[in-house]
Amino acid sequence: MTSKRAWSALAAGAAAIVVYYLIPGREQSALYFVIGATSVVGIFVGVRRNTAVEQRLAWYLFTVGLALEVAGDFVGTIVYELGLNREPPVPGIDDVLYLAGYPFLIVAAFMLVQRLRLVRSGVVLDSLIVFLAVGLVQWVYFIDPYNHEGLSHTAERLVSQAYPAMDAFLLVAVGQLLMRYVKNVSFAAFIAGIASLIVADEVFAIANSGYAGLDWIDAFFLGSYVLLAFATLHPSVEEIHANEDDSARLALPRLVLLGGALLTAPCVLLAEKAAGHRTHLSVGIFGVLVALAVLLRIVGVLRDVESAHSAEQRARRESETAQQLLAVQNQRLRELDTLKDEFLSSVSHELRTPLTSIQGYVELLREDEGNPMKRGYLDIIERNSERLLGLVADVLFAARVLEGQLRFEFQPVDVARLVHQAVEEARPRATSAGIELLAHDGTAPEVDGEPARLSQLLDNLVSNAIKFTPNGGRVDVRTSAADGFVRIEVSDTGVGLSAADRDHLFERFFRSQTALERQIQGTGLGLYISRAIVEAHGGRIGVTSVEGEGTTFLVELPVRA
Amino acid sequence: MNHRPYVICADDDRDILSLVALRLERSGFDVATANDGEEALALARARRPVVVVLDVMMPRLDGVELVKTLRADADLGDVKIILLSARAQDTDVARGLAVGADAYLVKPFKYTELAEEIERLTR
Repeated sequence: MTSKRAWSALAAGAAAIVVYYLIPGREQSALYFVIGATSVVGIFVGVRRNTAVEQRLAWYLFTVGLALEVAGDFVGTIVYELGLNREPPVPGIDDVLYLAGYPFLIVAAFMLVQRLRLVRSGVVLDSLIVFLAVGLVQWVYFIDPYNHEGLSHTAERLVSQAYPAMDAFLLVAVGQLLMRYVKNVSFAAFIAGIASLIVADEVFAIANSGYAGLDWIDAFFLGSYVLLAFATLHPSVEEIHANEDDSARLALPRLVLLGGALLTAPCVLLAEKAAGHRTHLSVGIFGVLVALAVLLRIVGVLRDVESAHSAEQRARRESETAQQLLAVQNQRLRELDTLKDEFLSSVSHELRTPLTSIQGYVELLREDEGNPMKRGYLDIIERNSERLLGLVADVLFAARVLEGQLRFEFQPVDVARLVHQAVEEARPRATSAGIELLAHDGTAPEVDGEPARLSQLLDNLVSNAIKFTPNGGRVDVRTSAADGFVRIEVSDTGVGLSAADRDHLFERFFRSQTALERQIQGTGLGLYISRAIVEAHGGRIGVTSVEGEGTTFLVELPVRA
Repeated sequence: MNHRPYVICADDDRDILSLVALRLERSGFDVATANDGEEALALARARRPVVVVLDVMMPRLDGVELVKTLRADADLGDVKIILLSARAQDTDVARGLAVGADAYLVKPFKYTELAEEIERLTR
């Protein structure tokens, strides 16, 4: 059922009520019943279509209640007025049906209250307070008067008093629903429908003398049928659910409710006195009871508010403590970081200082040495101290990678130019190893990077290729650009890598089987460092290889944004 | 008073200091050596050098502080300064140049590198 169709039904109901006032008596009575009966059918259809199976019980009870009301209408209007052509007796079968319908309506309304999770300790007390206040008014103005009317039958008196008593319950339910009013068309129509029924009942009870001159209240009875049908026909009936924000608050509706309840007894007393009626003892007792209940309720609410407040304060204190702790820990981490950095710098310094003397004096000796054999020995020392220096640099670099202390200062870098430089620097080594080194200079867009680190990366790759390629082999370096990446490819025609070696190639201190077998020098850190550099630049590094045929390393660096 | 250019070398590592001094003397410089920054500063104030070659990590007055002192000195402000250090990180180099050194060489160095820098600075 779409909301459009529900609104159409509401409009049709309103139109029917207007028509009701335009047509003569007998047809009017028939239409009264038809409107009621149609509404009950509408409610039944709405419940079937719009509510979930597990929630239908309340709505079915509701439907039964209204069906009993309409059955009462049937007896009163169709059977007596149209069929027997006289007013129904009081009490009659119609009264029995009407009064039988109320408990269903009341239970259904309270089930809805419960579905809104309104029945909690405080809310039960609220209900009691409202019931006491409403009951007082109902008693003084609608129920007690029948005790003094001298009605002929006890049955007639009891029936007349039963209506306002039932209304008291319905009023409490409506009060509770209003306390937790949720913005919902169906919910609003439901409350309006029940309220309309109560108004009609109360007016009827005050008049206490049949329908004479009270034709207008039929609009309220009929209006309640139509509104209730609309409430279930509208699809939003399924969205009536609890408002999760159920914090303890001295909210305005609750204040109005409690205040109103507190003032009921004094107001009734004053009104009765002004009207010159005798003062009821019961009113005083009611007043005291209501005052006590309200007091109890306010204490409860204040306690709730206080505990919510202190919980909030506790939470805030805890979060402050946690933040302070975090700040202290951060400070410690920063200090530790500095300490580690300082340590690595010192180690580097202490290792480089003796190497400076070794290399410097070897260089001096070598220049002075005339004996070729001794010069050759000095060459060996020089080469090995160079190796040691490289190892020192690599180990410290790897330590920085591990500590997460690599800091890069990016700037626009022309990768093609760096590739060219790296190749030219490696050329003497390639030539002396009998390897053809070719740079296929391509143009490539700039990348964001640190030139020194990227040079280190390129030198690593080119040096590796030379180291692992036998005499007569060839190394190709290509630069290109594709899909937002600058690609650098370093291919050799060297010994290649086994699949097992490929898997571990970029791990720290990993040496491939071929490197070990052929005693090719290295620390196992070069590719680990290369990967760290590439990843710090947001790039990727990979390798393809055919054992015995060669290896290709591929680096991809994102193009500068 | 000879006409060879006067160079002051300062390093707390005596082996390196001797090596640098020997090399520079062989290259035709008049060399004075100091074991720390204070000594180097005293030497420079006594006789204005063409170039000073300073280690960074030295006791008493370190290389970086000495560069600052020299740059602030009315007479010695424009003396050429080469820092020679085993502190090899990029940040160390940047800091040395930032306080006013003309060149920063990382140890271990090849003598030809030092000779080229001196040549470049005294040209």
